[in-house]
Amino acid sequence: MNMIVPLSSLAPGERGVVVNLHGGPSFRSRLYAMGLAPSAIIQVIGRYSRGPIIVEVGGTRLAIGKGMAARISVRKL
Amino acid sequence: MATKVVALAGNPNVGKTTIFNALTGMRQHVGNWPGVTVEKKEGVFEYGGQKFLVVDLPGTYSLTAHSIDELVARKFLLNGEHDVVVDVVDATAILRNLYLTMEIFEMGLKNIVIALNKIDLAKKRGIKIDAEKMSKILGVPVVPLNAKEGIGLEELKEKLLEVAHGRVEESPIPSHYDPAVEREIDHISKCLEGTKLSTIYPLRWLAIKLLQRDEEVMKLVVRHLGEKKLKEIITHIKEVEKRYGRAMDLIIAGQKYEFVDRLTHEFMDYGRMKADTFTDRLDKILVHPVYGFIAMAFVFYVLFKFTFVFGLPAQNLLSEAFTRFGEWLAPQIGNEALRGLLINGIIGGVGLVLSFFPLVFLLFLALSFLEDLGYMARIAVLLEGVLRKFGLPGKSIIPLILGLGCNVPAVMSTRTLDDEKDRLVTMFINPFIPCSARLAVISFISGAFFSSSHALVAVSVYLLAFAVALASAWLVSHFVSGESRPFVIELPEYLVPSWKSLLLHSWDRSKEFIRKAGTVIFLGAILIWYLSNYPVPIGTGNSYAEKLGHLFGPYMRPMGLGWKAAVSLLFGIIAKENVISTYGVLYGSEEAIRNAMTPLQAYVLMVVTTLYIPCIATIGVIKSESNWKWAAFSTAYMITVASVIGILIWHAGLFLGL
Repeated sequence: MNMIVPLSSLAPGERGVVVNLHGGPSFRSRLYAMGLAPSAIIQVIGRYSRGPIIVEVGGTRLAIGKGMAARISVRKL
Repeated sequence: MATKVVALAGNPNVGKTTIFNALTGMRQHVGNWPGVTVEKKEGVFEYGGQKFLVVDLPGTYSLTAHSIDELVARKFLLNGEHDVVVDVVDATAILRNLYLTMEIFEMGLKNIVIALNKIDLAKKRGIKIDAEKMSKILGVPVVPLNAKEGIGLEELKEKLLEVAHGRVEESPIPSHYDPAVEREIDHISKCLEGTKLSTIYPLRWLAIKLLQRDEEVMKLVVRHLGEKKLKEIITHIKEVEKRYGRAMDLIIAGQKYEFVDRLTHEFMDYGRMKADTFTDRLDKILVHPVYGFIAMAFVFYVLFKFTFVFGLPAQNLLSEAFTRFGEWLAPQIGNEALRGLLINGIIGGVGLVLSFFPLVFLLFLALSFLEDLGYMARIAVLLEGVLRKFGLPGKSIIPLILGLGCNVPAVMSTRTLDDEKDRLVTMFINPFIPCSARLAVISFISGAFFSSSHALVAVSVYLLAFAVALASAWLVSHFVSGESRPFVIELPEYLVPSWKSLLLHSWDRSKEFIRKAGTVIFLGAILIWYLSNYPVPIGTGNSYAEKLGHLFGPYMRPMGLGWKAAVSLLFGIIAKENVISTYGVLYGSEEAIRNAMTPLQAYVLMVVTTLYIPCIATIGVIKSESNWKWAAFSTAYMITVASVIGILIWHAGLFLGL
């Protein structure tokens, strides 16, 4: 299954590989420096109707704003 | 022997500060990096007869030109004033940490030591790291550490000594990229070869940064190669981007991670890599949109309870001590003017501020505890959505709440905000939050004029102040330049903080409170004393203070207040409590105020006192946390807002026949 979807559409427990970040240079550099670079494996730990999505990537937990998560495309695993 | 300079670099939350404290102990100094408000910590220690100066660089995830913190760290490293670089690496998140390590390697630096921290936690998670092999593969010494327990510190010092004296052969491994990227790096390097730029910076670093479209490096390249050459290079970059289907900086970042990933497999076994389930379970409650808020309210309640239960008695004790000291000193001074200056002016004014010290220290202690515990990041997550609507970051709840106590430490606490724009907006609106000094004014006036509904009246002033603060944040955030950065925040594992760290940190912060508040208040106290005692004492109608009041009096008329309000508000700039005490002096007694004003006038006075200007200590601290312009703008803005609201309330009240 090679579906490319926005990170915001993953449910808790689901995993994906980062494919691309859609945004300006400042947005991109902030995310990839924290581990969200192409080819990184990412798992959604928690998400609630409001507020950010919590993910795990490279052994660390990150909270990512809803709007940001929609601009991260991942290949679902 | 000359002191050797050690630069301490690393990601946030890796234990950099713990290592810094463990190395330097109390021998440290906190200041600012030149020209910016990023905190600069320096400390000294001695080992093996060699003196070391440790410079703690801002914790960063990378070294781009996108944030001040990163620029500060990068400039320091490029300047080459250091003898050794210690790169602190978190063993539990080695992939992401080595990303920064690779950036440091690319800068062509010498004398790098990797401090591999949190090895105990890594072991617990089943991560096995062969430090010796890691050192061989990376080409620099690796010292495993558990800084919190002090394990590995001696080894680190020993290694620093060896490296500082050039006794260690190093060959940091450069990251390799795909041939398509390497070709571009070669191409740019060739273009830059022989330019003056190549004598200042390593060519490969320049080339990679240029590929990433680093603004600072692009500026440099334009200056040395010209616009035309840069355009040609950019065209090249675009071709590669087309092939990969993503931006060049992403291509490089992705390949850098892949390179690091390949390296790590040679010296470590990720094991099951199970994350801390305790943290995850706790987060199910603490960042939950409903339970999380309940938990947060409880945490804040405990925080305040703690601060006030221990802080208030200490404050009373201190102010009592100052009064006693004054009483003891008074008869010993013959000169009447000097006695007045010392007792009423300096001991009275400065003592008042100093008596706040226990409260401030305990507040900072409680906040450092929450920060080191890892809870602060959760608060940011909870409130980001709500506060961002007003142009404020989630973390700004801390300064907002601190402001209820005192705006000086509140403004200082904006340092915990990561983004410069957020920091400016948050400190700008902070003086609107009624501090405990204004609580004294509000409760006095509402008690004196609105006996039956005084609580309701007091609450209405607080609500008005909060509304003004939020509306101002919304307004000002539209005008402060700088794009708001995306909301991504690391949620560190919950860890029991070390007492040593907490005490050191709170002491640093509250020490600054004494210094900053102390100096301005000291001058202010002398000024007030002078104005109200010369040429004749206040109350006679001819003191300088009263003359100033008459000068500003006409300005007060549109809001229904007279010259006496002008004097009181003027003195309130030094400390807001002065508003009531000055009125007391002008009317003979504080009770006499009751008969001198209508309830409507009293309400206007209360609102204006709450909103009209930051006190002088707050202005001082805004200035030192930003710049003169920002402090002046904040002051002018508050005067304007308070005048407009004062006039509106007065006329609305008259219209309603109050």
